[in-house]
Amino acid sequence: MSTARIAFSIARRDVSLELSGREASITVLPFVAALMMLAGLGLGGQGPVLSAAAPGLVWLVVLVSAIPLARGVAAAERADGCWDLLRALASPTALLAGKLAALWLWLLIAWAVASMLAVALLGAAWRPEAAVAGVLGTFGVAVTTVVLGVLLPHGARRPGLIAVLLVPGAVPVLIAGTHLAAPATSGLPWALLLASYDAISLITAYAVFPALLEE
Amino acid sequence: MDAASPARRRTERAVGLLAVAAVATALTLGLAVAPPDVVQGQAQRLMYVHVPAALTAYLAFATVLLGSVAYLLRRDLKWDMRAQAAAELGVGMTALAIALGSLWGRPVWGVWWAWDPRLVSTAVLLLIYLGYLGIRGLAEDPHTNARRAAVVGILGFVNVPIVHFSVVWWRTLHQGPTVLAPGSSPPIEGVMLAALAAGWVSFTLLAAWVFLRRIRVLAAAVRTSGSAVTGGPPIRVFARRNL
Repeated sequence: MSTARIAFSIARRDVSLELSGREASITVLPFVAALMMLAGLGLGGQGPVLSAAAPGLVWLVVLVSAIPLARGVAAAERADGCWDLLRALASPTALLAGKLAALWLWLLIAWAVASMLAVALLGAAWRPEAAVAGVLGTFGVAVTTVVLGVLLPHGARRPGLIAVLLVPGAVPVLIAGTHLAAPATSGLPWALLLASYDAISLITAYAVFPALLEE
Repeated sequence: MDAASPARRRTERAVGLLAVAAVATALTLGLAVAPPDVVQGQAQRLMYVHVPAALTAYLAFATVLLGSVAYLLRRDLKWDMRAQAAAELGVGMTALAIALGSLWGRPVWGVWWAWDPRLVSTAVLLLIYLGYLGIRGLAEDPHTNARRAAVVGILGFVNVPIVHFSVVWWRTLHQGPTVLAPGSSPPIEGVMLAALAAGWVSFTLLAAWVFLRRIRVLAAAVRTSGSAVTGGPPIRVFARRNL
């Protein structure tokens, strides 16, 4: 089987697992909805303030929702005791690609829900550039989340460590994503920044992923 | 029992003595010889410590990157020890640089903290390397710890330039480069430049001395199999591969 087919199988398996258990959607989507609704109250409820803060808020919500999603990267395989088998059967590239595709999908859904709520509840303006930011930004976050999800074992310190390692490193996504969604800004430099962030994250993850699978 | 070779001991002692001499010189130049800044007054003297602390931190994090890459290539724990010692040093120096910068920023900028690229990048560095140190000690096998830490050490460092540039594009407030400013001669008085250089040399030598000592302590802890290192993350050793 080719690497692409194995990666597709892993991604499809992760999606099927989620559709049957709905763990990620139960964990993340209510959190996204609650945060976007409460933001209106927390920020004072004034229209101009809310619409100005909405793009940044969307990306903060996406970054924070990546923390619980990281738990699911290898959780099912480790719980079933088939992680070693999967590592033996699939190449590191296929495993990275499969896990990345599935996680990217969940982050895209979280971003889409947060964006829709930002438009509906906070009066944010919708721009096509925001969709570019959504696709590119969630990809970069997904790459780092997959690496950290495989790297960190279960334990009390895990969520805190993922938060400390993932969120600060994703500052470019927060800044570029916010600017791309905000009105009256030039989109191209920020889209290039996101693309560069994605490329650097992916190349680094590809280089270090085999070392993570040695355990 | 410390099993460092006599040559290594001599190097460590020589670096320590040089550091003491450099610190004495830097203190004299920074506190007694260099005049107060015309605009910033006495607060400017904090720069003789703040800038060297930041530069030493960047040097330490570059060492973490080198140690991490070398560990993944060689799988020798001595590289991991170098990375760990450098990360501890880098975290301390970064925290010091941020604290001193904040003390300087209050009288000069009027605020303790500003959303400036260099400040944000440095705070991001601090958080990432705190996470790096937090990862160490999660597993009992030192090679598992070393492998995980090496991955974070590489991921963390490669992100830094793009984090920095993203915040630079966002906004900038921090003072631009003084010594390396474009032009024929730096816009800084000679004695101030000498005080800054002496501060940088003394910080580098002190950091090198601490680094060498910390490596010795880490190596001793690994040799005594299972003992925890006082004053740092515990290293429990159950396998002694490549030592």
